[in-house]
Amino acid sequence: MPDLRPLLLVEDNPKDLELTLAALAKCQLANEIVVARDGVEALDYVYSRGQFGNRDPGDPAVVLLDLKLPKVDGLEVLAAIKGDAARRHIPVVMLTSSREERDLVRSYDLGVNAFVVKPVDFGAFFEAIQDLGMFWAVLNEPAPGRVQANDPWRPRRWQGD
Amino acid sequence: MTVPGPDTDLEACAREPIRIPGAIQPHGALLVIAETDRRLLQCSDNAADLLGISLPQGDAPPPVEALGDPRFAADVDTWLAGSDPFFRASAQVTAGHARAGVLPADGAPSGGSPGGSLGAAPPNAGPAGSAAPDAGASRRYQVLGHRTRQGVILEFEPEDPRDRETLDSLYPRLQRFLQTIDSTSDLRVVSHAAAVEVRRLTGFNRVLIYRFDETWNGTVIAEDGDGVLPSYLDLRFPASDIPAQARELYRLNRLRLIPDADYRPVAIRPSTSPVDGTALDLSFATLRSVSPVHLEYMRNMETAASMSVSIVIDGQLWGLISCHHRTPRRVSPPVRSACDFVGQFLAQHIGARQRMEEAAQRIALKRIETGLLARLARADSFQQGLLDNAEAWLSFAEAQGAAVVTPDGVMAAGRTPDGEQIRQLVEWLQAHSGGPVFATDSLAAQFPPAAAYADVASGVLAISVSRLHASYVMWFRPELVRTVTWGGDPRKPEPSAADPGARLSPRTSFARWRQLVKQRAIPWRRAEIDGAADFRNAILEFVLRRAEERAELTDELQRSNKELESFSYSVSHDLRAPFRHIVGYAELLGEYAGSLDDRARHYLGSIVEAALAAGRLVDDLLNFSQLNRTALALSQVDMRKLVAEARRSLAADMEGRTVEWQVGALPPAWGDPALLRQAVLNLLQNAVKYTRGREPAVISVSGEERDGETVFAVRDNGIGFDMTYVGKLFGVFQRLHRAEDFEGTGIGLALTKRVIERHGGWIRAEGEVDRGATFTFALPKPERET
Repeated sequence: MPDLRPLLLVEDNPKDLELTLAALAKCQLANEIVVARDGVEALDYVYSRGQFGNRDPGDPAVVLLDLKLPKVDGLEVLAAIKGDAARRHIPVVMLTSSREERDLVRSYDLGVNAFVVKPVDFGAFFEAIQDLGMFWAVLNEPAPGRVQANDPWRPRRWQGD
Repeated sequence: MTVPGPDTDLEACAREPIRIPGAIQPHGALLVIAETDRRLLQCSDNAADLLGISLPQGDAPPPVEALGDPRFAADVDTWLAGSDPFFRASAQVTAGHARAGVLPADGAPSGGSPGGSLGAAPPNAGPAGSAAPDAGASRRYQVLGHRTRQGVILEFEPEDPRDRETLDSLYPRLQRFLQTIDSTSDLRVVSHAAAVEVRRLTGFNRVLIYRFDETWNGTVIAEDGDGVLPSYLDLRFPASDIPAQARELYRLNRLRLIPDADYRPVAIRPSTSPVDGTALDLSFATLRSVSPVHLEYMRNMETAASMSVSIVIDGQLWGLISCHHRTPRRVSPPVRSACDFVGQFLAQHIGARQRMEEAAQRIALKRIETGLLARLARADSFQQGLLDNAEAWLSFAEAQGAAVVTPDGVMAAGRTPDGEQIRQLVEWLQAHSGGPVFATDSLAAQFPPAAAYADVASGVLAISVSRLHASYVMWFRPELVRTVTWGGDPRKPEPSAADPGARLSPRTSFARWRQLVKQRAIPWRRAEIDGAADFRNAILEFVLRRAEERAELTDELQRSNKELESFSYSVSHDLRAPFRHIVGYAELLGEYAGSLDDRARHYLGSIVEAALAAGRLVDDLLNFSQLNRTALALSQVDMRKLVAEARRSLAADMEGRTVEWQVGALPPAWGDPALLRQAVLNLLQNAVKYTRGREPAVISVSGEERDGETVFAVRDNGIGFDMTYVGKLFGVFQRLHRAEDFEGTGIGLALTKRVIERHGGWIRAEGEVDRGATFTFALPKPERET
C-alpha cells in the first residue's frame, strides 16, 4: 500500500525546482508534493508552524533537501531534523550541485539517509529523482524511528554522468 | 738593538726575572721608604757611598731628612700627600751628614727645579758610575720617585754640573722639532725627524725608529747616525729579539737606559721586601738592572750604551726609539724626558695618521658595502646577488677572488681555489676558526693543504653567515713573493761562545740575511676585517629578512589557497547548475514539441551535448583542483585489482570493439587507492579511446619493482602522437587531437600526472604517430617500516 504522506521538496532555485517537479511528475505519484523555498520554510513545515501552522498533522514521507539554501542552509535543516529524537526518523535525501567531499562527509556525519549529486545530464537526473520519489513514496513502508536493516537506501553516494 | 732577547729559547727568556732582578745599575742609588712613616725599607748597596744611607738605620733619622736637604724633604712630603704616582726633584745631598746624624743647618740651596721635567743635558755627558763623593762634600742629585705596593722607590742619579748648561736650549729646540712636522707628513719623514732630534738631544752614535708588525717582528723604518755604528735601516729583526714580557714592560714603562753594558750590578738589601717578603718589583725603576742575556746581546752588537723610548699608540706598543753608542754614555733625566716627549709626539702623530687613514678606508669600504647591499636587496638570494655584482664584491676587500659557500654549493668569482679545495677549507674553518670572522695573510702556515693553491689564496678573509650550517662568504688574495732582509738569520740560534749552554744566549751575528717570503699575501687591513664583520651582519640581516618575507609569502599563499578553495566550492555549486538547466530544459523541449524536424532535433541535440561537455569540464577541473587540497591516504594498493576494476568500468567504451588486454603480473604499489584508481582509469581510458578503429586494439599493462620504486607501463597500438608535442601532453586543456575525433576535456593526463607527482613519483610518455603510445609511471616505495 503506497504511503500517501506528502513529499517535502526544499529547493530555492526556480529552474531546479521546475525540473525536479517535472521529473517527479513523470513518476505519476499520488503523493502531494510540498515545496519549501528555504531552510526556514522547510523547518516550519516539519514543525507545523508559520505558514504551515494549519497543515494536516503527520511527517513527510521524505524530505528532498537542497544543500545550498537561503537563510538556513540544507545542512542546518538536516542537523535540526536528525538532532530531534521526535523527527529523526524522517528520511532526508540531500540533493546538491556540489561534488565537494566535505559536504558529503558532513551530511553523513549528520545522519543523512541518501546523498545525490545532481547530474548535469538531465536524463540521469530524471532517473535519480524518479528512483528517489518511487522508493520513498511508494516502496518504503513507514518505519518511524529507524531505517530497515535491509534498506537499499542506506547512505550511499549517487553520482551521475 | 737595545733590547734583550735570546733567540734560543723564548720560554726560558720569558722566565727571566726581568722585573725583579734584585739589583740596579751602578750609575745611581735606590732607596725604598715606607709611605707612612718614611722609614727606610730597602736600599741599594751603593746608597751608603753615594748618599750616606745604609741599613740597619739604628737611631738615624728617616732617610729623606738624613740627606740634609729640607727643601727636597718638603718636596717629598708634598708629593706623598697628593696622589701623583710619579715624582721628580733634585736634592742637594751632603755625604756623611746622615751618618753623622746631624741635621743640615745651612739648608744648602737647591739649584735644580724641583718637579720640573725639563732639565738640560749636554749630549756629551760623561760615563756613568760616579765615584763616591768626598766625605762631607755636597753633591746634587736628580731624584725620580714612584709608589709601589712595596713602598716608595726613590732613585738618585748624580747630576753632572754640565747638565744645566743647555737647560734653556732644550725647550726651543723641541719647539723647532714640532714645527718641522705637520699633520700631513709621511710616516718615514716624521720618523726620520724624530730619530734626528733624539740623536741631537742625546749624542748617541745611532738612533733607530723600530716598528713592530702584527707578529712582533720589528723593522727599522728610520735611522740617524754618525757612521760609528753600522746602519740597520730597513732591516728586520725577529720577534724573539724582544720577548713578550720585555714588550709588556716597555709598554708600561716607556723609557729604559743602559749607560754601560759592562756595569757591575749593585744589589738591593735586604733581598726581599719587608712589606710582603718578595723581591722588589723594579718595573718602573729607571735604574733597574737588565738581563745578562741582554748585556751579552749588546756586546755582540758592539754597543756599550743604549736607551729605548717606547712608542705606545692607544695602549699598544707600536715601536721603539732605539739608541746606541759604541762607548758608555749617560743621559741625564731631563734629556730622557725630552726624548720621551719626542716619542710621545711621534706616537700621537702616527696614531692620528692611522686613525685618519683608517677612517678614510672605512668610508671607502662603507660606500662599496652600501652599493653592494643595495644591489643584494634586489637579488633573489644573497649568493646570487654577490655573484651578479662580483666586481664590487671583490673590490670590497681588494681581493682577486671570492666565494660563497652554502649547503647548496660553492659559487665563486675571480681567481679562487677549486670547489673541492674550498669545501675542504670550509671544513677546516668550521673546526678551527673561533669567531665569525677569520683573516690570515698566510693560509698555508695554518692549513698546510692550502700550500697547493698559495698562488691564488695565500690570504683568506672569511665570514660565517649562518649559525646553523657551514655557510661562508670569503675573499682570496694571491701569494706575493717578497724579499725581507733580516738583521741576522732569525732561524739559526747560535750558542754563546763565552758560556755555552750555561744560560740563555743571544745571537752573535747581525749580518744582513735575505729571505724570500713565500705563501704570504698582502695582509688584510683592520678596516677591511672590521668591514667584513659589518658585511656579515648585513648579510645575516638580509637572510633573516628574506626568511620573514618567505614566511609572509607562505601566509599569503595559504590565504589565497583558502580563497581558491572557496572559489572552487562555489564554482562547484553554481557553475554546474546552469549547464544542468540547459540540458534539462532542452530535453523537456524535445519531449514537449513532439513533431520537431531533423534539423531542429540536431540543434537541440547539439545544445545538450555542448552543455554536457561544459558540465564535464567543470567536474574535471574541480577534480583537478581538489587533488592538491586533499591529503593522501596511503596504503598498499593491489594494482591487479585496480586494473581489473578500471577495465570493468570501461566496458561501455569498448562495446562492439575487439580489445586484446595483456595484463602482466603487477606488483602492489604504495599510494592513495582512490587517486591511483583515478590515474589508472585515465590511462586505460586513453588507451581504449585512442585505439578506436584498431582491429584488434592491443593494450598491455605491465609492472616491475625497481630500486626504491615500482614502475608500471600502459602500452597501446593506437594512433600514438608526435614526440614533438610530448611536452604538451600532460598540460591542462592540452589536446593533441581534434575534438570531433576524440572526445575529452584535456584534463585527464594532467590529472594523472598530478596524482603521480603528489605521490613523489614520475610519469613519461613515448609515442609515434600511428604506432601507439606508452605511458610509464613510477611510484616510490615506502621508507622501510619498523
